Amino acid sequence: MTPGSILTVSGVTYAYGGGPVLQGVNLELAPGEIYALLGPNGAGKTTLIRTICGRIRPDGGQVLLEGADPSRVPASRAGLGLVPQEIALYPTLTVRENLQTFAALAGVPRARMTAAVARALELTRIEDRADQPIRHLSGGYQRRANIAAAMIHEPRLLILDEPTVGVDIDAREAVDTVIRGLRDLGVAILMTTHDLEQADALADRVGFLRAGRMALEGRPKALIAEAFGEKMEVLVHLVREVDEAGRAGLAGEGLEPTRTPLVWARLDADGYAAAGALDRRLRQAGLAPKEIRVREPSLANLFSRVAEGEAAA
Amino acid sequence: MISLGQRIAMAVAMTRVMALELVRDRAALVMTFLLPPLVFLIFSSVFAGATGDAIQLKLAVADVARTPDSIRLAQALAKSPEVRAEQVAPATADAVRERVKSGRADAGLIIRADPADSGKPFVIVADPARAVAAPLAQARVQQVLSSALPDVALRRTVAKLEPALGGLSEEQAENADSAAAFLRTSPPKTDDGFFDRQDVRDARTGGGVIAYYAGAVMILFALFSAMQGALGLMEERRTGVADRLLAGVAGMGPVVSGKFVFLTGQGLVQAVAVFATAQAVYGVAVLGHLGPWLVTTLAAAGCAAGLALGLVSVCRTREQAQMLSTFVILVLAAIGGSMAPRFLMPPWLQGLGWFTPHAWVIEAYQDILWRDVAGLAVYKAWGVLAAIGLAGLAVAHVQARRLRR
Repeated sequence: MTPGSILTVSGVTYAYGGGPVLQGVNLELAPGEIYALLGPNGAGKTTLIRTICGRIRPDGGQVLLEGADPSRVPASRAGLGLVPQEIALYPTLTVRENLQTFAALAGVPRARMTAAVARALELTRIEDRADQPIRHLSGGYQRRANIAAAMIHEPRLLILDEPTVGVDIDAREAVDTVIRGLRDLGVAILMTTHDLEQADALADRVGFLRAGRMALEGRPKALIAEAFGEKMEVLVHLVREVDEAGRAGLAGEGLEPTRTPLVWARLDADGYAAAGALDRRLRQAGLAPKEIRVREPSLANLFSRVAEGEAAA
Repeated sequence: MISLGQRIAMAVAMTRVMALELVRDRAALVMTFLLPPLVFLIFSSVFAGATGDAIQLKLAVADVARTPDSIRLAQALAKSPEVRAEQVAPATADAVRERVKSGRADAGLIIRADPADSGKPFVIVADPARAVAAPLAQARVQQVLSSALPDVALRRTVAKLEPALGGLSEEQAENADSAAAFLRTSPPKTDDGFFDRQDVRDARTGGGVIAYYAGAVMILFALFSAMQGALGLMEERRTGVADRLLAGVAGMGPVVSGKFVFLTGQGLVQAVAVFATAQAVYGVAVLGHLGPWLVTTLAAAGCAAGLALGLVSVCRTREQAQMLSTFVILVLAAIGGSMAPRFLMPPWLQGLGWFTPHAWVIEAYQDILWRDVAGLAVYKAWGVLAAIGLAGLAVAHVQARRLRR
């Protein structure tokens, strides 16, 4: 364990139902650091988090939370806060009543209760909704209240499971601001997310979990630079769906369909110059694009590569 | 390590959550605290008379004989407050049978000959499924006959005696006729026959059936509400509250303890509502037996709370828990005597009833409030109820620990 780190996962293996779920996972987290755990469904993210929370005892390797095994030493979990993916609050109770409840259940002494609730409300910026029942709050406020309840006992490590799933952009911004604020206070943050833009914007480090192994780990910018070098991403936005011949034509230009309908993309070292030439050729082929964009590759590009197994190979 | 004080504070926090949730849900409030006394009033009105005079038998009458005395009898039956007699039209035996068969009358009476005739002038028609109806109808008719038509009774008696006396002299026959005529014009005010009646206890207590149903409804609703409350454990798993707490120091243990305390308290309040009604409406002497009543109530409510938490905690999904809870609530109530009185059940079913908390609760309340005994049987009931409750609570705690996996 590196001095100063809150969490150390070393060589953790775990099998369930006859198949390996985690295969030698390593992870280390220091105070004031945001770590985004990425990976497709079934990669082992939930199992890894359960292991860190002490709910699963690994078959091999070791998890140390504040220097102790969380599955054997309950006290080591005192500095841990978990924000579940669902709104894990009592819907008919107000925000304040929920916070008081979870403070008591986390062992916050009565004398410190009021101050703890006020602090959590302030840090998550929901003071103005403190006395409203959870079920009457918007999705964004519910998400922030969900976070507030997990940090009411001032944990040193906060685990967030998909903190912004199903919320609009404004609400996501608000949640991101809260997460950054907690990081600045020295809280170590481990989050799982499918939102790669959020991971890109927030995380100091990311880890790609694939089939129970940490396929790639590091700072987002460094990982992208390492994977793509000087290459830029060229995005072609088509006017309408194209037929089979059109698809063959696009593929002939090295373009691949993206998850966004009508948008095809490729990586090109020659960026902007390539885009101009590509535009001309597509128009000649009767595939006039609505728009062509050139941008730096993102975590999404890296994620696609890792998910397909290229980066790991 | 968490101190005992912290554990208590955690359980109290959970109790508060449940109380706030209940207070803010008006429908649940009504279901929890108004429905039990209401159902108690309905049950007690239905069954209070099931074993006594209060039954008003519905009697279909056909006067086929149409003699002066038979007409008098039919009229007297119609006037009698003891029975709801109704003359059928047309006045035929078939019409009476049809009424009884269709259930529109509890029993039927066919007056096929003059009541003073020797032989059997009456036919009672009854459905064999209603075992009590036939003897009760017979008794009511005899009662009306002797009080409203004493002359007919006298003439029948004289007619029976006559052969034994070797015939009546002219003077004796005249005396009998004049006595009968006198009885006919001025019947004696009362004729209770052979029997004097004594009630076993002060009528004010409303009888054992009221105490029975107060207990039966109390445990029925305590278990019903406890099951609803315990289903919250499933909700906590679904919404991730369990995940949140299991990642912490204390886990789900305090949640289970807090729910147990709340559900026991809820059962106590329900019992207060039911028994206050029983005391106010039927004069059941609850206040006079407050100590044993309170212990019985706490044992019953704790039993319901523990049982509900234990059962819900062994379920994997909410659907499973919901199905199990419906099954348990209905079947235990039916076997244990919360729906139909246990004393009407066949012996094997009464025996089976001892495997339900309902039977123990009902018997304990009856012993205390009606039979006025607080002896070994009651202590045994308290022990059984407390044991069931604590066993359920223990299962819920074990399951809460296993949930960590």
